[in-house]
Amino acid sequence: MNLICNLFSSFFPNLESDGTHREREQNIDASVRFAVLGLIKGSVVWLLVVSLLGLIVSLKLHSPSYLSEYGWLTYGKAYPAFWNALVYGWLFNAGLACVAWIVARLGGRPIGNGGLLIIASGAWNIAVIIGLFGIFKGDQNPYRMLEFPVYVAPFLFAAFIGIGLWILLAFKARAYRSSFASQWYALAGVFSFLWIFTVAQVMIFCLPAQGVFQSVVAAWFGGNLLGLVVAPFAFAVIYYIIPKVLGQHIIGYGQSGIAFWSWILFASCSGLASLVNGPFPAWVASVGVVASFGLFLPLSVFTMQFVSSFLASFSRVWDTISARFAFYAVVAFIVSTVLLILGSLRGVQEVTQFSQFNDGVRYLFLVGFAGMAFTGMIYYMLPRLLNKELPNSSLADLQFWVQGLGIFTITVSLVAGGYAHGALLNGSDADTIAILFNTKGYLFLTSLGSVIFAFGNFAYAVSFVWILLSPRTEKEKSADLIKSAPELEYTHS
Amino acid sequence: MNRGPFIFIGVLIIVSLSWALTLVKPIQEAGNLQAIGIGNDRIPARLTGLAEQGRDVYQEQGCVNCHTQQTLALVGSDIERGWGERQSMPLDYIDQSPVFTGTNRVGPDLANVGVRRGEANWHYLHFYNPQITSAGSNMPPFDFLFETREIVGEPSDRALELPEGFRPAEGFEVVPTRDADALVAYMLGLSQAYEIEEAPTPEKLAFK
Repeated sequence: MNLICNLFSSFFPNLESDGTHREREQNIDASVRFAVLGLIKGSVVWLLVVSLLGLIVSLKLHSPSYLSEYGWLTYGKAYPAFWNALVYGWLFNAGLACVAWIVARLGGRPIGNGGLLIIASGAWNIAVIIGLFGIFKGDQNPYRMLEFPVYVAPFLFAAFIGIGLWILLAFKARAYRSSFASQWYALAGVFSFLWIFTVAQVMIFCLPAQGVFQSVVAAWFGGNLLGLVVAPFAFAVIYYIIPKVLGQHIIGYGQSGIAFWSWILFASCSGLASLVNGPFPAWVASVGVVASFGLFLPLSVFTMQFVSSFLASFSRVWDTISARFAFYAVVAFIVSTVLLILGSLRGVQEVTQFSQFNDGVRYLFLVGFAGMAFTGMIYYMLPRLLNKELPNSSLADLQFWVQGLGIFTITVSLVAGGYAHGALLNGSDADTIAILFNTKGYLFLTSLGSVIFAFGNFAYAVSFVWILLSPRTEKEKSADLIKSAPELEYTHS
Repeated sequence: MNRGPFIFIGVLIIVSLSWALTLVKPIQEAGNLQAIGIGNDRIPARLTGLAEQGRDVYQEQGCVNCHTQQTLALVGSDIERGWGERQSMPLDYIDQSPVFTGTNRVGPDLANVGVRRGEANWHYLHFYNPQITSAGSNMPPFDFLFETREIVGEPSDRALELPEGFRPAEGFEVVPTRDADALVAYMLGLSQAYEIEEAPTPEKLAFK
């Protein structure tokens, strides 16, 4: 009988026998510690690179002679370098760290194959570094978010397969048969990236489509990278933070399925709206406009779920640093998606097309929504991965306000400045230099915002290194100060 | 919703549909255009060899991040600005890979810059330092595409005639490199100044 029991439990390990809830969590954390910490370290370093590049880009736009003696750093190279480092460097590292940890934790079991995740994420970062050097060297492609030279693509692809495979295996190994919304989004992000990246590389570079259709593919890819890869990772984080960090079950969780599928459906075409009026088939752009409008459906479900859950425990939002970041992310998500939808209206596009308005919306979506969500999640993961408390929580507080202010300033200056710029550019025949003169104030404001944001990022880096290096206190050694996470994710209401 | 394959297949179906509908179908419909005519009457007009090399410099320097190459006639004020005579059409781009349609206009559109600025010297000065020809512009100087060298013997006949304040030190001259020559040739070759019957123009739109 004993033998049968042992055999049975080796196939179906009984969760209760693995010790207390908190001990199980610690085992899971220990199994992913090295790889996830590696990804977080990568993300912090990339964020510092991004702050520097962002500052250079914004300064160059109003002071063209700044650093102009360096041919490899001319605006045309620094600008794509900034956006690519931001997405493939910072957001992918941070997002994959969060998603890997969430999938492991929700699976309820320690995850093996650590080596795969370590090697794949290392390879990813090396590929991104080579890609950036490629841009500086002069090998960039003229398509947004596909600027990395062609020779980097196979490495990016292979590295992402490794990371994706790890996440998939971690999901497969879960102890519970049911799955939570965070897990759906994690999987969706991984699948989508592999698919859209393949499509873009094949249709633009391997078997190039004719002429302007390369731009159509690039617009499709750019929109999907935001909507189907970065956004799902950020949704996974928000869906996790509300029950686990805030201790608040998600109000209206039953509607998550609608939100999930409608988001995937509409986001998969919305990037095409930027092609409107150009030398492209008009109906393709129209599909993009319609799809953008469709985003109102998932947006309203997300808004109902997230905002009402946050409001239900609002007093705790301000006490919990992670929840506060997530709250900022949710507000940024709502604002940027509304701007994205309104920005696809033909009447608005007639004004904002080719201006910085779209950069502003993109910036708010990527940095304000995804970036802040990942940062909040990292502040929840770090104490658990390192078994330490945050040594200086007021520094994290400061970081929140400074980063938040920086993102707000940059978004306002890009969106408002872009609108003003576009109104003169598309609505009058004023000279481009005269237009520049009229909108220079906004360009200075962007630089100011970049400086503020860079200070916030510096505070983040200090705070991160501090918790990494600070020795464990006697109190931390003698007792486990971390409470186990509440299991509220499946609670319906 | 509890199984991985379900999510995988669902996402794959939706993204594939989007791919088939918005990418494959339009490329099948309109992605196989043929040039009209031959020789000098060919539409679209071909670039010269040097200008083709200039395309590479244009791509290397990331010019596309500030300049579009698409004239809009349906909306906006491109025609009034003299940036073009008609709407840019897919046919204009069939020889180009990659294409520089672009998404940002920090600077003006360049689809017809060869028509509007036909003088090579203007472009050389403009690339050396945009402040010479367009004071107040926020375009960065591309002086690294030029060589500042000491005059040995006779000054070069290719040296730029720079105005006061932009000249190098006494006894030095500024000579364009091959990259600068190629880029200027490309600028001069950028033109969509031929007629395409289907292309909307202000006149055709007025009759609509």
